Amino acid sequence: MKIILIFLFCSMCSIAFAQQKLTLHFKHKVGDKNLHLFTETYENSFGETFTINKFKYYISKIVLFDSDAKQYAFPNNYYLIDAADSASKSISVFTTAKRIASIQFLIGVDSIKNVSGVQTGVLDPMNGMFWTWNSGYVFAKLEGVSTAAKVPGNLFSQHIGGFKNGENATRQIMLTVDSWQLTGKNLITIEADINKWFQSTHTIKISQHPICHSPGELAMQFADNYANMFSISTTN
Amino acid sequence: MRVFSTISCLITIVIACAAWVSSSSTTKIIVTPLPFFLPKGWPKPAYDFKNNPPTKEGFELGRKLFYDTRLSKDGSLSCGSCHQQFAAFATYDHNLSHGFNNGQTTRNAPSLANLAWTKNLMADGGINHLDLQPLAPITATNEMAETIENVMVKLKADSVYKKLFIKAFGDATINTQRMTKALSQFLVMLVSSNSKYDKVMRGEAAFILPEQLGYDIFKTKCASCHTEPMFTDYSYRNVGMPVDTFLNDYGRMIITRNKQDSLKFRVPSLRNVAYTQPYGHDGRFFSLMNVFEHYRSKAINGPTTDSLFKNKMPLSNFEIGQLTAFLYTLSDTTFLKDKRFAEPGTENTIPSFIHLH
Repeated sequence: MKIILIFLFCSMCSIAFAQQKLTLHFKHKVGDKNLHLFTETYENSFGETFTINKFKYYISKIVLFDSDAKQYAFPNNYYLIDAADSASKSISVFTTAKRIASIQFLIGVDSIKNVSGVQTGVLDPMNGMFWTWNSGYVFAKLEGVSTAAKVPGNLFSQHIGGFKNGENATRQIMLTVDSWQLTGKNLITIEADINKWFQSTHTIKISQHPICHSPGELAMQFADNYANMFSISTTN
Repeated sequence: MRVFSTISCLITIVIACAAWVSSSSTTKIIVTPLPFFLPKGWPKPAYDFKNNPPTKEGFELGRKLFYDTRLSKDGSLSCGSCHQQFAAFATYDHNLSHGFNNGQTTRNAPSLANLAWTKNLMADGGINHLDLQPLAPITATNEMAETIENVMVKLKADSVYKKLFIKAFGDATINTQRMTKALSQFLVMLVSSNSKYDKVMRGEAAFILPEQLGYDIFKTKCASCHTEPMFTDYSYRNVGMPVDTFLNDYGRMIITRNKQDSLKFRVPSLRNVAYTQPYGHDGRFFSLMNVFEHYRSKAINGPTTDSLFKNKMPLSNFEIGQLTAFLYTLSDTTFLKDKRFAEPGTENTIPSFIHLH
């Protein structure tokens, strides 16, 4: 009994004192340029010029690995990163991990949450990241204006999702953190390069696919691309 | 050691108390559980009642929401506008329903009966949970054309709703999940299980001769898809209806993107079929006779036409007569006139469905 109580006490102490706040900051770029919604014109690797109105995506299933490959998982945390909302771009977790060697996370929302009715918080369908007519979350969306988009208003609109077998658009990202100690500011900046959204594993021109509004082959291709979109920033 | 264990004991107790106090302060509400009766011989419902146990308070909130036109953009339409009780919660006499700003839907409004047993909703099965269903018509631009965000703003600004949400859920939080859970509590209670057919099955009534003959024909020619007691097997089938070239609705294929599912639509239940005309996913059949005529002489044999209709379905005039007599036994007037399901405040003035026909 005594041993159990001591253990309880010690574990409480460790929770109370050894946990540190780790902040993951998401920074959006288009190639070398920082993302500025609406105002700045960018060019992708096919020479298509565009502006961006909206860039939003879900991050979940964060797992931190320390240098001993010990895992620190956050299976129930979901985050909606919105380029228009600076507060959303910083994720904070509390962890006892001392030295983060790598960070793993999922782009998207696991299948269970796609089939369990209406959720709350960032998963509330009110956030505009849910297909109501074909139930399921939009995992990531990019909208903007490009003369290459031969659609009304030149408005390209790429909504990526899909949780069923054969159309799963969740992608696991694994980033190695080089020589980073969990001290000081405890801040890791993760960059997302929107040019990779169009060209990485697949080549997806705005002119060819200005619209993607359902799960399936095209959404999977975008997903393969956004899987390569992230990297740890070398400059903070 | 003793000090440590005493301290840890105390900490544990304090945490336990704090957890108890915080949970009891939010869950200490008095709700009246609303029992859900499973009709004898019916399958297990698909709806997960554990996650949303119906209460009288939740049901009443759901009912108010169902009939509230403020859920639409201009306040002109409620769920009940297209799901009318006297039409078994389908739209009476409209092939397609009317939406915001002269909009028109692309499908015939289905009867909302026995939804607790319906796992996937819509004629194409695109919606995988009853709680999610209301979000589709609320946000569709040709239906209620509203945003969920605006609906929340309107509900939160209404002191009556505030009270009703507290009653149903224990505190004043109003969010999408609570709204849809309340709607589901109303919707799962829309059980139609008291037709003459049901009474015959329970041994409380007897078919007259044409009904019995019709039932026998039904069992050989219809029941493999319109399976008792739900009168649907919930499968998606192409019954040989050519595509409407204005709607270009390919049904199940829209969801699965599988060519094999082209022009397949969910088998509708036939319960209350005498009150749910027009028929077909796009309401192209204005009478039961139109439907029978389609089956026996008009069904086309396309690549995905169901094997049961490859050679149409032979039906004699006699059979049609008897089948019609049987189908009329699926009318559940208890359900059509049940005051619990009527728009709040109109319980005593429910229009007599008899006069409308």
